[in-house]
Amino acid sequence: MTNSGVRRGATALTLVGLVGMVALLWMSFFWVSTEVNQGIVQRIFYVHVPAAWTCFLAIGISALCSGVYLWLRDDRLDRAAMCAAEGGLVFATIVITTGPLWGKIAWGTYWTWEPRLTLTLLLWFIFVGYFMVRNATEDPEKGKRFAAVVAIVGALDIPFIHLSVIWFRSLHPQPVVAKPDGPTLPGDMLVTLLFGLLVFTVLFFGLFLFRYALEDVRLRAELRARRTA
Amino acid sequence: MIRYLDQIRAIVWKDLLLEIRSRERIAAMGAFAVLAGILFNFSIDTAIVRPEDVAAGLLWMTLVFGGLLGVGRTFHIEEQDNALLGILTSPVPKDAVFLAKVAANFVLLYAISLLVLGVFALFFRVSLDANVGWVILVLALGSLGFVALATLFAAMSAGTSMGETLLPILVFPLLVPMVVFGAGATGRLLGGRPFSEVDGNVRMLGAFAFAAVWIGAVLFRYVVED
Amino acid sequence: MIQRTLLRPALVLLLPAILAVGVAAQESPFPQAQLGQQSLRPYWHVFIAYAIVIALIGGWALSIARRLRSVEDRLID
Repeated sequence: MTNSGVRRGATALTLVGLVGMVALLWMSFFWVSTEVNQGIVQRIFYVHVPAAWTCFLAIGISALCSGVYLWLRDDRLDRAAMCAAEGGLVFATIVITTGPLWGKIAWGTYWTWEPRLTLTLLLWFIFVGYFMVRNATEDPEKGKRFAAVVAIVGALDIPFIHLSVIWFRSLHPQPVVAKPDGPTLPGDMLVTLLFGLLVFTVLFFGLFLFRYALEDVRLRAELRARRTA
Repeated sequence: MIRYLDQIRAIVWKDLLLEIRSRERIAAMGAFAVLAGILFNFSIDTAIVRPEDVAAGLLWMTLVFGGLLGVGRTFHIEEQDNALLGILTSPVPKDAVFLAKVAANFVLLYAISLLVLGVFALFFRVSLDANVGWVILVLALGSLGFVALATLFAAMSAGTSMGETLLPILVFPLLVPMVVFGAGATGRLLGGRPFSEVDGNVRMLGAFAFAAVWIGAVLFRYVVED
Repeated sequence: MIQRTLLRPALVLLLPAILAVGVAAQESPFPQAQLGQQSLRPYWHVFIAYAIVIALIGGWALSIARRLRSVEDRLID
């Protein structure tokens, strides 16, 4: 895929994503009804859950690309893994900042070790570890391999972490609260949520492609610098 | 297959022999375990908290910190005379090297975990009458999973400029299942609950250990290749 | 690229306006909707949350754009 092809795809997806974002904002403020128990603060849900979905999509992509990279040693896969990880870090940050903002009003406290939030916090650290290991290695080829292993092991551990956090939480008394994401989610809320998921996914892929194009150009600049040196 | 096991056995024996002779890591980890227990005792207010209630959790945290201390130095043994290069260029398959390192580290950490169990039972007034056999099993499974992950990432961090300081950042998020299921099971067993209550935990711990050893064996070659 | 640099601050500024209108348009049978008698904290939290979303996504986009521009400038030299 040529760089200009990637950029065209990136521009298209990002623009669609941005338009979708405006639409999502409109929907979540004007269109969707207010949740009965939590009031207006529940609207954070419409960006919080899509961001969570996106960062888990990101680690999945990163781990998959990393695995195939270790097998085929095609640098493009490593670049894709890194770009996905960077996006994942951004969206994970969104989750762990919007979650407490929601929780403080909805449940009275900023942090309740809620399973999804806890898992995302740990995922955030896995992403940070990915970049730390990459940057702390002098040999860049080694750094790519190390980072790939971090992404793969991190992604494989996610199910275990998820189960353990859920079990841990089940031991403690839960605040009685309406389940905004249960199967009883009213129609308009479900539509807004699904739309939010779509928008965030599109936006993620758009920016992912831009980030990938950046790496491509950077490589070309490096090669040229090496050739003229 | 026999040859494979022989190769593993040779490396395990070499590492354990080195450890028996120098007693470097076991002394450090053992001292750490006891001293951690002492500090933990001073850190809890016994007027508010019953030591028996927190013992299981603190036991596992001591294992995590002490284990990282010892396992982090796994590949330091081979730093002299480029011994690691020697092992890696030998015909021994990389996953055998990994399994051997894990086995040797497991022996080390498991011994320490039993020491920690005894010391913490003493310091935190935990009775070992009930279920001690099951607790020993839980510690074994937890140690195995921990050692597998820590060994893989110890090899990785040894190749970075940050070295061992990177190890906790990489490993701690991955250890959550081990701590949750391990401490949960240990706490209940030491509290006299029947094993049937924690068999789910033990199963998860076993699955985690198995997955960690397996994935470590698969990925180790990518970490140590030149 | 230029569209996005203009769009981002516009969205951020638009948000409080949207919020204010949205709040006024809300009809709720519950007394909590009566502003002036009730703390505005939930609204603050919602505003900050959405601002964070826009800031982080926009920030990432902007950072990519900036890096791309600098690398391309290097390539031209």
